[in-house]
Amino acid sequence: MDKKIFWKRCMSTLAVTVGLTLTLPGAPLLAADKVVKIGNIIPLSGPSATVGEQGKNAREMAVAEINAAGGIASLGGAKLELVYADSESKPEKGVGEAERLINTEKVNVLTGCWNSSVTYPTTAVAERYGVPFLVPVSVADKITEQGFKNVFRIAAKDSWWTRDQFSFIKDMSAEFNTEIKKLAFVYENGDWGQGIAGNWVKLAKAAGYEVVLNEPYPSTTTDLSPVVQKIKRSRPDVLMMVSNAADAILLTNTLAEYRVRLKALISSGGGHADPSFIQAAGKSARYLFDIVEWETDVNKPGAREANEKYKKQYGQNLTGEAVDAYLAMYIIKDALERAASLDPEKIRQALADTQLSDGPGMIVGYDKVVFDEKGQNKEASLVMVQINDIGNGLERITVWPKSARRVGYTPVFPKP
Amino acid sequence: MTGNETLAPLDNSSGSNAGPLSVSGSKVTDQGVNPRKKFETISLAALLLIAFGLPLVMRSPTYLHIVILIYFYAYLTSSWNMVGGFAGVLPLGHSVFIGVGAYTSTILSLQYGISPWIGMLVGGVLSMGIGVLIGLPTFKMRGAYFALATIAFAEGMRVMVENLDFLGPFNLNGPRGLQIPPLNFGFLNFMFKGKEPYYYIILIMLIGVLVLTWIISRSKLGYYLNAGGEEPEAAMALGVNVARAKLIAMAMSSFLTALAGTFYAQFSLFIHPKSIISLDLSFEIAFIALIGGRGSIAGPLLGALLLRPVSDFSRIYFGDVFPGLHLVIFGVILILVMIYQPRGIQEPLTRAYNRFIDRLSKEEQAKEVS
Repeated sequence: MDKKIFWKRCMSTLAVTVGLTLTLPGAPLLAADKVVKIGNIIPLSGPSATVGEQGKNAREMAVAEINAAGGIASLGGAKLELVYADSESKPEKGVGEAERLINTEKVNVLTGCWNSSVTYPTTAVAERYGVPFLVPVSVADKITEQGFKNVFRIAAKDSWWTRDQFSFIKDMSAEFNTEIKKLAFVYENGDWGQGIAGNWVKLAKAAGYEVVLNEPYPSTTTDLSPVVQKIKRSRPDVLMMVSNAADAILLTNTLAEYRVRLKALISSGGGHADPSFIQAAGKSARYLFDIVEWETDVNKPGAREANEKYKKQYGQNLTGEAVDAYLAMYIIKDALERAASLDPEKIRQALADTQLSDGPGMIVGYDKVVFDEKGQNKEASLVMVQINDIGNGLERITVWPKSARRVGYTPVFPKP
Repeated sequence: MTGNETLAPLDNSSGSNAGPLSVSGSKVTDQGVNPRKKFETISLAALLLIAFGLPLVMRSPTYLHIVILIYFYAYLTSSWNMVGGFAGVLPLGHSVFIGVGAYTSTILSLQYGISPWIGMLVGGVLSMGIGVLIGLPTFKMRGAYFALATIAFAEGMRVMVENLDFLGPFNLNGPRGLQIPPLNFGFLNFMFKGKEPYYYIILIMLIGVLVLTWIISRSKLGYYLNAGGEEPEAAMALGVNVARAKLIAMAMSSFLTALAGTFYAQFSLFIHPKSIISLDLSFEIAFIALIGGRGSIAGPLLGALLLRPVSDFSRIYFGDVFPGLHLVIFGVILILVMIYQPRGIQEPLTRAYNRFIDRLSKEEQAKEVS
């Protein structure tokens, strides 16, 4: 009789298995004529949902503009259609969604995924099916170093952020005749922080700086005074930081509390670039240098207008991530115009041949989008901003490279 | 002990509700005829045939992917069930074993070129050792304390892996995780271009774990576990070595869970601490077990069959319209099931199934009489 129980249990389970699997919808929807489908895998829920939301808004704004201007002329005025998939910042969800977008939604191009950990495995799926994948932002170097033919990245990669931070230190110490010898590194102990700090150590060694402190901390911490004590004791000239939102504020305030004297503080975007940072850290944040991809005061035609429009529609300023997502849509439009076909290989080739230097999408800080043989945008560059109050309250002012510096502003260096 | 037929060890309920399965089971024996057995043999064979033939019909990799994940979670939950269901404790850190399995096989194959199939077994054994080590001190704890201890251990492991680039000669690559380059396809490398091989591997693993669960449920160990979970004092007074039975269950459970870790690594070709040793994953396993029915053979499978599609399809259809809604739907289902079916959905389903079978056997009897 136990056998019977077993059979029965097996049956009931199997019956349900099969019943459910068979009822799954099977037939993919046929794409309507004259539509180019762009699949977007971004974190719409979970810990990175706010960034995902910004990316979604920026994409929608760009696609609305493109479609209003007549769509893709070389494809008979085909309209762009956005299809979204939520990755929840989880790699396995991103992979599943990529499969679905490619096989069921039949998208022509994919974009995403912001989280580097989602972008790695997801681009591998696109590569396997030969679907072009445009990555607006996912900074890990590795993404364009997998030997994939179908993956293109707009944003600057990890190693460029750190490279530019060191160029900045060198340029500033020359410009203001201040000697910089000792560096301290303090960073959150996640993927991002450790990746950047690893590069810092190499660059510092190559440039002959002395690293007096190399200190990771968990970004969920509620007390950073031990870390700050260490910074104070090690007497660095420059403190370099990688922080998420809450810990950026805590670190800045604790540094002010302990009156740590430094020639400069340099942060790496993230928490220091968050709009809430200036509000919460207030005066303690003054004179901080932060590296970003884009700032609202960037000196490019159309940038101010695009920001105004975005702010009106979505109630926020554009961010570096949003600008890259916005630009991604215009890069796709440009490639489609030249490809004049929905054949994935033709689109891929057109993306590889991209030489975009004008149009509404080009509101980034650099002049041209060109992908190298690995698919990395060669021209992507970064800017340094300084947080200062020059009569309008604390604001972020572009200071580096010198060509992009806000007219009439002299950076405060070293920190008084 | 084994002779006590009505004490179904899998139904972790108290006294009066000693399991609808065993009650109706004896009904059939009373009737003397066996239409049930005949029916069940036939339909089981048919279902196995359908399960094995599914990839031939379901050509879309999208849905095959979803089904593979359903089986994967069903497998994980069934492995968890040996401790979390039978032994009556609530382990909430099983992602540790998934992590051990995934990292062991991946490191062995990336650094030493050892086939993941071998790495799978090594990971399983390693994970078994860790499982026993956790079990030794923690099984003495009761209720929430055991759950908390397992959570703490899992989180500790995650933080450790996130902060270690190297563990001795082994490259863990810290928080950046490990990526398996999709280069060497083939059975020996546990890497395939299509989804079908993965489907069959996880299907066979799932059937294996279900059969094992069934064997345990009928064995002395199953009764020991059940007794120890229900009334540890009474069981110990009768001479049952409760702690030892739980340890054996933990060893099996951690071994099997680690195998799933290797499967996951080879299926997604990318592992990192936040996705594989996360509390989210541990909790999801527990949720599936609670919804499906803890301590029953079918429970984990039913739970996975209900929750995974709900989570996937609500994400697909609502993910962009109303971000986060799918998580709300997931939560609401969880609450509803907990309120109306605290013993999981396996209970009403088995009842309905039994009614159907009874009617069937009655008809058959009537036919014989006429």
